[in-house]
Amino acid sequence: MQELLNTLTLGSIYLLFALGMALAWSTIGILNFAHGAIFVFSAFSAHFISDFVPLSMPAIILISVLVGATLSALTQWLAFEPILKRSKNHRSAELRILIGGIGVAAIPIALVDWATASAPFGFANSSYSTQVYEIMGLRITNTSLIVIIAGVGIAVGLTLWLRRSRQGLGLRAIGVDSETASLMGVNRTVMAIGTMAIAGGLAGLAGALQVFQLQAMGVETGDQLLIKAFAMIVLGGLGSMAGVILGAFVLAGAESLIFAANMGTWVDAVSFGLIFLVLLVRPQGIFGRQEVRRT
Amino acid sequence: MIDWYTANSVVIQATMTTLLLALSIQLPLRMGVFSFAGVGCFGIGGYTAAIAFTKFGMGTWTAVAFGTVLAGVLCYLLGLLVHKLTGLYLGMATIAFALIVSVVATNGGSLTGGASGLFGALGGITNLHVFLLLAVVIIGLAISEAGRFGRKIDTVREDPELAVALGINVTRYRKLTFLASGLIGGLAGAVTTLLRSTITPAEVNFHLVVVALTVIIIGGSSSWLGAFIGAVFITWLPTVLSFVAEWEPIIYGFVVALAAIFLPGGILGLVKDLRHRRGARRGSTPPPEEGAAAPPDDEPHAPEPSRTPVPSQGGAL
Amino acid sequence: MSRPSHDAAEPQMIFEADDVAVHFGGVKAVDGLSFGLPEGKIVGILGPNGSGKSTLVGAITRHVPLTRGTLRFLGKDYGNDRAHLVPHRGIARTFQTVRLLEERTVLENVLLGTDSLSGGGRAERRLAHERAQVAMQRTGCEHLAKERPDELSYGNRRRVEIARAIAMEPKLLLVDEPTAGMGRAEKEEVSALMMSLRAEGLTQLIVEHDVQMMVDTCDILLAMNFGKLIVEGEPRDVVRNPAVQEAYLGKQAVNHA
Repeated sequence: MQELLNTLTLGSIYLLFALGMALAWSTIGILNFAHGAIFVFSAFSAHFISDFVPLSMPAIILISVLVGATLSALTQWLAFEPILKRSKNHRSAELRILIGGIGVAAIPIALVDWATASAPFGFANSSYSTQVYEIMGLRITNTSLIVIIAGVGIAVGLTLWLRRSRQGLGLRAIGVDSETASLMGVNRTVMAIGTMAIAGGLAGLAGALQVFQLQAMGVETGDQLLIKAFAMIVLGGLGSMAGVILGAFVLAGAESLIFAANMGTWVDAVSFGLIFLVLLVRPQGIFGRQEVRRT
Repeated sequence: MIDWYTANSVVIQATMTTLLLALSIQLPLRMGVFSFAGVGCFGIGGYTAAIAFTKFGMGTWTAVAFGTVLAGVLCYLLGLLVHKLTGLYLGMATIAFALIVSVVATNGGSLTGGASGLFGALGGITNLHVFLLLAVVIIGLAISEAGRFGRKIDTVREDPELAVALGINVTRYRKLTFLASGLIGGLAGAVTTLLRSTITPAEVNFHLVVVALTVIIIGGSSSWLGAFIGAVFITWLPTVLSFVAEWEPIIYGFVVALAAIFLPGGILGLVKDLRHRRGARRGSTPPPEEGAAAPPDDEPHAPEPSRTPVPSQGGAL
Repeated sequence: MSRPSHDAAEPQMIFEADDVAVHFGGVKAVDGLSFGLPEGKIVGILGPNGSGKSTLVGAITRHVPLTRGTLRFLGKDYGNDRAHLVPHRGIARTFQTVRLLEERTVLENVLLGTDSLSGGGRAERRLAHERAQVAMQRTGCEHLAKERPDELSYGNRRRVEIARAIAMEPKLLLVDEPTAGMGRAEKEEVSALMMSLRAEGLTQLIVEHDVQMMVDTCDILLAMNFGKLIVEGEPRDVVRNPAVQEAYLGKQAVNHA
């Protein structure tokens, strides 16, 4: 049971991170390789400010979310939009967005690496303190509770918003056919930047919560999480938010099992292996309707 | 000249090994195959050579050959598995492959030295050896860029459906590019490892993918010459400009992002474009070799009087 | 659809499709088509958008997998060929939208037609060059040999594409909407080119919207709708056929007739 709870916490952070990535990828078609860097940089910004002024948890989260949203929107506006405008076809745009994302990612990561001298950072100066509750023999921290509630709540909320609201519909229309969507009066550029801001905000939220949960974060966390998130999205099926939820918890569960079996050094192989397995056996994922482009 | 060489022999070596790694990724990209498997093969080649050299007492070149061939074979098998995937899916699957290599190396026990890697694999490789190997690889690639072979590869990348309609076996090209990429990547890994005497799992990571991509993006993805320019750029810039060394990752980040946005053809593409544009402008006053081809810029579609006796306008069309 | 009964008396069929069907899930894009292409003739396929014309071209070139039916070329069943082998049998095609390598010269684009179909020896390469030169002369683009396609007009780009197909020296040429986006004068040039190729014995299958051009150029017209063949025969008769007018031509037919 305790393991299940830990899995749920881990999965919720994965979920928050992957949701943003999946949202941008499945609607505006941007797989942002700077998503992991934004995750790290947002948490670092909160850490940086909280070193000067002691901040409460909500304030730290707010800073992290805002930094994430800003960074992500800027990336879309300054890098990806110009690339989309200058690409002659989808394939070359895809490659250039991947490379552009990698380039953009290098900048905040290098800054954090330089500022922390590659050491992990935390929110030591925050006024937040962890409390442990015991409920029916289960030990749960207030942090875990917040993480799980935020993760599941936002995931369900986002899924419903995409399905029900007008903006959600417009966004999905872009994902299906951007030209028709723009004819229907959906302003693609504004929508795209807005979507990326939401995605970045989610990365910032995940970053702050991860630091609260694990007490510290290393610079390299972002890249690892990026590839894990890809595994989750592919497992669930691109275009399905419910799929991301499933993917996040399946991956967290599998990793917990590996840890429980004392094979911790193999833990990264789970996500990499999963990517392989899913792409080869069921490339559209479990819930995916969209056909993966194959030749 | 000799003084200059001795002073810089380490940088020259780094340029050559970086170039080899970059070429292993560039070849599939030139074929429109979004594969970063070359990085995983760098790890396979490096580990295989180091193991063969330190654990089995093989000679330097036997060890290098082992590493190269094993990487090529494994990469080919990988290609058989994933060649139907395209775009980002293929890219991520091959990145995952590279990272799995790293995880396996971490867990390889005494054979791979675990997380601390392998040491003491100093082979007898000189810069001249690396240069000769590099020359062989580059000659092979240059052949694949010239003439009809080059045209066919360009077509496979730009328009696979057209390539098939012209009789090109696109699937075979795609599979063979995995083999070639694996061989080059494996060679790069084996040579680099036996030069440096160590390899660790941490080296075969996402960062290595970034390095290889950076080289290609800065220089240009269409030709080995572009990778060469890129390799020179990123290995020499920090030695020339000392402030670059301090801010290296940030500057490369900017350069890569800017190149992705504004210079998809890299430095080489820029030079080619400028040359082409100059050629086109010169076309209006007929130059000796290109003249007959280029009509004046202001009326590009005016019917040209044919030089051949065949009535090209009225008769055939 | 039954086969025309006068089959045997007619000139040799270079290509035959028998009960060819292509279904995508529940969509029957091509649904049981049988027809032949007589050697040295130009056959046109007429039909509204979505009637299955392009799918049919894809089926003939083996780009689209057959649901059922057989394809025969020069008497041989090639329905199991992989797509890249079809050009080696002597079937070349052009595309609805012109497809060229923008960064290569016109000459190189035309040479591409020969690259996979001939060997790499010195003599063969010289021969390939000659073939490319001839193809460019025929289509009137040899003065553009050193230009890059992205600098050419649409009509000239179309010429280069046809030149590339001719350089393949095919026995059957499939032409997918060759005059889309062209003016009347350019259309007539394309039409004249096809007829001059026919004079040399090249069999051609054209998919096209322009009724006037089809009537002027083709020897036989096939009219398709909903993946099926509705009428086959002499172009003027096909165009006047009430079923065709209803399915495809509508008001347009009144203008032309």
